[in-house]
Amino acid sequence: MNSTLEQHHVVGGGLLRRLNFGTAAVSGLIFGFIAWALSHHFLDDSGQGFADQVTVLTGCGWVVGFLLGIGALTGPGKWFTGRDQNHADEMYLAGKDLGRKRYFQYTTDHKVVGVQYIIATMVLLGAGGILAMGIRTNLLTPGNHFVNQQVYNGFLGVHGMLMILGLIVAVAGPWANFILPIQVGARDMAFPRLNALSLWTLIAAIPLLLGSLAIGAMDMGWVTQGPISDQSGIGFDLFAMSIITFTISTTVAGVNTICTVLTMRTKGMTMERLPIFAWASIFAAGLGLYAFPFFLVVMSLNLADRMVGTSFFIASGGGTGWLQENLFWLMGHPEVYVILLPAVGAILEIASVFSRKPLFSYRTVIGGMAGLCGLSALVWAHHMFTTGWAPTLGGPFMLTTELISIPTGVIFLVLLGTIWRGNIWMKMPMIWVFGFIVNFIVGGITGIYLSDIPVDNQMHGTMFVVAHFHYVFVGSVLFGAIGALFYWFPKVSGRFIDEKMGRISFWLVFIGTHVTFISMFVSGLRGMSRRYSSYALIFEHTNFITTIGAYMIMAGMLVLLGAVITSWRSGEPSGPNPWGGKSLEWMVPTPVPLENFEVLPVITSDPYTYGEAKS
Amino acid sequence: MTSNDNHKNNLRQIFWIWLAITVFGVVVGIYGTPWLMPTAASDTMHLSILTMVVFTVAAAPVAALVYAVVIVALTKWRYRGEGIPPDGPPIRGNNPATSAWLVVSTLLTVFLLVWGLALLAVDNGAESKSEMTIDVTGQQWVWSFGYAGTQVHSHDLFLPVDTDVKFEVTSKDVVHGFWIVQMGIKVNANPGAITTTAVTPNRVGTFDIRCTEICGLNHAFMVTRVHVLTKKNFEQWLASQPATN
Repeated sequence: MNSTLEQHHVVGGGLLRRLNFGTAAVSGLIFGFIAWALSHHFLDDSGQGFADQVTVLTGCGWVVGFLLGIGALTGPGKWFTGRDQNHADEMYLAGKDLGRKRYFQYTTDHKVVGVQYIIATMVLLGAGGILAMGIRTNLLTPGNHFVNQQVYNGFLGVHGMLMILGLIVAVAGPWANFILPIQVGARDMAFPRLNALSLWTLIAAIPLLLGSLAIGAMDMGWVTQGPISDQSGIGFDLFAMSIITFTISTTVAGVNTICTVLTMRTKGMTMERLPIFAWASIFAAGLGLYAFPFFLVVMSLNLADRMVGTSFFIASGGGTGWLQENLFWLMGHPEVYVILLPAVGAILEIASVFSRKPLFSYRTVIGGMAGLCGLSALVWAHHMFTTGWAPTLGGPFMLTTELISIPTGVIFLVLLGTIWRGNIWMKMPMIWVFGFIVNFIVGGITGIYLSDIPVDNQMHGTMFVVAHFHYVFVGSVLFGAIGALFYWFPKVSGRFIDEKMGRISFWLVFIGTHVTFISMFVSGLRGMSRRYSSYALIFEHTNFITTIGAYMIMAGMLVLLGAVITSWRSGEPSGPNPWGGKSLEWMVPTPVPLENFEVLPVITSDPYTYGEAKS
Repeated sequence: MTSNDNHKNNLRQIFWIWLAITVFGVVVGIYGTPWLMPTAASDTMHLSILTMVVFTVAAAPVAALVYAVVIVALTKWRYRGEGIPPDGPPIRGNNPATSAWLVVSTLLTVFLLVWGLALLAVDNGAESKSEMTIDVTGQQWVWSFGYAGTQVHSHDLFLPVDTDVKFEVTSKDVVHGFWIVQMGIKVNANPGAITTTAVTPNRVGTFDIRCTEICGLNHAFMVTRVHVLTKKNFEQWLASQPATN
């Protein structure tokens, strides 16, 4: 690179070089305020949906202002005016020689975006966790009023949505960005600027969701059922705006992930030599592209009902809540697998490396994942067995739901086959894998009970269901996500996460998970409905135990947070390939250079040649 | 000992651990599940509890197999040396094992399906035969019950024992979930629509009705009771009630 370009990108002018997270926040607030003031001025304040119109437009102002302020539209703007970005601009965007600054900017380097996603995930799960503690504290004893019922109901909905969004990005966000391009032998994602766009759109959505709690009065739970969502206060408007913004983020990210794997693979990296995490990522991204448009639609229709007097979901206007429920679960069930599959992909990678064995039956697991994706689109109405909608469809939906246990079983077969007679290396990532296996069996089997209609007639809407899906989301997905964090953290930071603190956090979270959710199963079996702010005396003991278990999980997560922060600064150095892995991310130096590979590698086999390679 | 002997040993250990956990699971399923669930006040609830037991018993060997392999992996296959372990055997798959796994899981799934469909067929009895109809109305945050063919309304539900009862359920405002806990029936109350469910109470006593869909501030307090009376007592109660609208 010649010296004038070098200088240009250090001192160079232009708006692009002055934008960061701070300008984005300020700009978002200004635009939000302008939208608020304009809508107050021009809209009819006697109209029925006036407050909702103002709130939604203010939310729109925030999102647009935030994206302008971070520089999301600078590139397209320049292109539009015929002054496309030059090489120095691109290098600046990629964060070259910017040090820490690049983590607070609209940076296109996939590794920076990956780290930003780690932080975003921690914020989402941390905020959701705090609300979970609020919920459990309220349920510590019967009739406890730690928070009032209105606030409690808001906690329920926002806790659920924060956790759902957090888990959707927990594995796919950090690792499909940081690791996936290296795994397939690419210098970056297929669309680096879209990559930054997806991250910063997500960041724009988070304050909306937290803000919805602040302006409050939400009774609709995370499923936003109509017409209770229509009754809810203006908090719901920001809640829905947050989800609409999030669906844009995840769509952009999904397209990017799929295109990266399909088009950016290095020479010799056939689809059959892809690491299984890459397969899991494109399955999850593809399924997300199918599922999340329903999310966008259901929230938009809901907002229309509130703002402009439509009645899609309002019975008195000719609408029906069943439409809302169908649309929501058309998203809601595939979404479970959008969340699960990246975690499974990471778990399988770890299982192979830490058993020092090839992945068992590579093609079977790809078939299993494909089966999960296909079936997950056909099971949504099992969430509606007791709604009274189309009772004759009960049988068919029971069929599709129970069929899902076959591809799920395949995941277990491959996991067990991979560790079978291996040399099991019980480092931190592998410990979380074993936690995953133990918990996922519980989550999976209790799901089978619920697929059976006579049982569901008893269990639907009870704490049994809550415990079931928490075994899947906490016990399985979160364990997979934490395992992935321990596994790939050395590639991000060049350091190990502290093993001692890691083990403490594992045991706290593992035991806490069982204490919390086994006692919650019992509450459900004994007849406690979900989303209760208070309960009868017969549920006293199990709820007390559940709350103690929840505190244990929180303690474990705080220890983990402490371990991550201290290890990032001063953990034990790891070198480029601490686990003896064979996929490409372990072949590049740590820290990973800006474009990953000096010379793109040529691939001659898959990365699972343990016990086979002669070397 | 050769690695082959070792392997046979491991298989034997897996078998015994599998058997122990299976037995434990079966015992918990048969005795624990009914103990934890409310005492049934209808055949529907009996079937629901029975299904929980049967599924637990069917699931026990599956979970036990996974846990047995996990335990052997953690104890016998664990590498206890320093640094990165040497490579394990390069097993890239095992077609007989995969096929057996698929066949067994498919058979289990077929069993679940047949069980579920058979129960559905049995369960629809009460609705088609119904001897009396109750109009159930949910509103924030009370239930009210109308007795078809009379002018009687109540907030506690009264039912005659051993009678096929059909519920026609609706709501005045938002969605509520109508659930008679000890009878194993549940259907949502939707505004602008009537949904139905049915049950034959088979035990005299007082049982719980709880709302199962979040319906606003007092969702947790939208509870009431159902009193199942002998047929004679029920007739007396019905006759003693004032007609209301």
